[in-house]
Amino acid sequence: MKPLLQMTDLHGGYGDANILHGVNLEVAPAEIVVIVGPNGAGKSTAMKAIFGLLKIRGGSVIVGGVDITGWEPNRIVEAGVCYVPQVDNVFREMTVHENLEMGAFLRSGDLSAAYDRVYGLFPDLKERRKALAGNLSGGQRQMVAMGRALMLEPKILLLDEPTAGLSPKYMEQIFQISRDVRDTGVAILLVEQHAKQALAFADRGYVLASGCNRHEGTGADLLADRDVADMFLGG
Amino acid sequence: MGALEIINFYLVPGLVVGSIYALGAVGITLVFAILRYAHLAHGDLATLGAFLGLGLVTALGISPYLALPAVMVLTAVVAVGIDRVFYDYLRERPKIVTVMASLGIALMVRAIVQVVWGVDSQTYTRGIVRPENWFGIRVRDRELITILAMIALVVALQLFLQRSKWGKAMRAMSDNPDLALLSGVDNGKVVTITWVIVGGLCAAAGLFLGLNFELKAMMGWSMLLPMFAAAILGGVGRVEGAVIGGLIVGVAEEMSTLFLPTEYKAATAFAILLLMLLVRPTGLLRGKVL
Repeated sequence: MKPLLQMTDLHGGYGDANILHGVNLEVAPAEIVVIVGPNGAGKSTAMKAIFGLLKIRGGSVIVGGVDITGWEPNRIVEAGVCYVPQVDNVFREMTVHENLEMGAFLRSGDLSAAYDRVYGLFPDLKERRKALAGNLSGGQRQMVAMGRALMLEPKILLLDEPTAGLSPKYMEQIFQISRDVRDTGVAILLVEQHAKQALAFADRGYVLASGCNRHEGTGADLLADRDVADMFLGG
Repeated sequence: MGALEIINFYLVPGLVVGSIYALGAVGITLVFAILRYAHLAHGDLATLGAFLGLGLVTALGISPYLALPAVMVLTAVVAVGIDRVFYDYLRERPKIVTVMASLGIALMVRAIVQVVWGVDSQTYTRGIVRPENWFGIRVRDRELITILAMIALVVALQLFLQRSKWGKAMRAMSDNPDLALLSGVDNGKVVTITWVIVGGLCAAAGLFLGLNFELKAMMGWSMLLPMFAAAILGGVGRVEGAVIGGLIVGVAEEMSTLFLPTEYKAATAFAILLLMLLVRPTGLLRGKVL
């Protein structure tokens, strides 16, 4: 299948030094792809590169046949890519519902179908729609962050460590919701610290190390790979 | 001294001057919440608004109240212009650079006012206005209108911030600028809307100050400290807080003359500012920016 998102030989970093030294990634429509790897491997950086949040010095990012390398974030959003940062990913002083409204900022017209869809995926949020996002628990806040990103009905959702700091119960819930989102036709690319659990639930995975591709394959294959297990997953 | 005297000579004037501080403090708090710097030209922008009002009142022979909407629009245009020419240029630099630039703008605006309207004190209308008597409480029309206009403007602003699409975008930008950009909010447009509102509020503060007292080139500058005290007292970034802070500072200044010589009135705002920074630096309503 033709990839929805294609990152080819990407080089880049924040200051003068490069963190990524030629990363290649592909995500097909309605596929869940996970990036794992040791600390400092450039996992989150690779994701930020898609969103133009660092200096790109080589390579390209193509979404749906359009080269979006180096675009402004608001144009990338319009191209159908939504990004959920790891921290500070909600408007704390705004209600849950207002957070979703901000997600739909670029859309006009009747949004009731979009609200129904998001509240359908996250029934907890519907109950707390008038609560300030800053007063929610970490897991619920992560749901607000994902819901906000889904309001734009993106083609692909980028999640930066969505389960960081969450209890196993919430982690399972976030994974389950990610599957539900995928089943509505949205591709998901996520970065995960919990490599074992993430590889078990994803369709495919990439293992990055020192800013380069190290391994790639289906989640099951990577989990079975002795090399991967020894190097990154702690046996 | 009876309760009525305290109300007539201290509380009413305090609420009037407090309403004027509130209008200024709301603008200061908005600039801080969205642009993240202290705007030192705030008082002199109010002075400009007051004198633009004088220009309209003398040229067209209309009442200052009728001039208010036009003056708010004119000052808003000036504020947006100042942002485009000076502050926007410095946006990527450390914020202190913009703070210093705003001090320069303050001096520039004041100099223009002095060149155009002279250095003497002026008034919108001549003659003495007798206060109306409401069950022993004496209030002049202009004092009542000042307080009511402040309330109306703040309510309108709150409705805009809570209900409208771009008002919500302003709150989002104040809350989490990076996430607002990731949601597709156009930063430049939010900044422009902010300056339109801040310019309008400055003009209203200046016009009501001129109406209740007199117009002079230093009027706005001397109001800067109490306005900042009010914004910090209420909690920087909080519109309701700025109103409460403005009213408290205004009433406290007037009440202080019960115990202190009137020359120390201005020091009251300074004392409140110091006390607040020592005891509760986030303000009465926990500020969200600092």
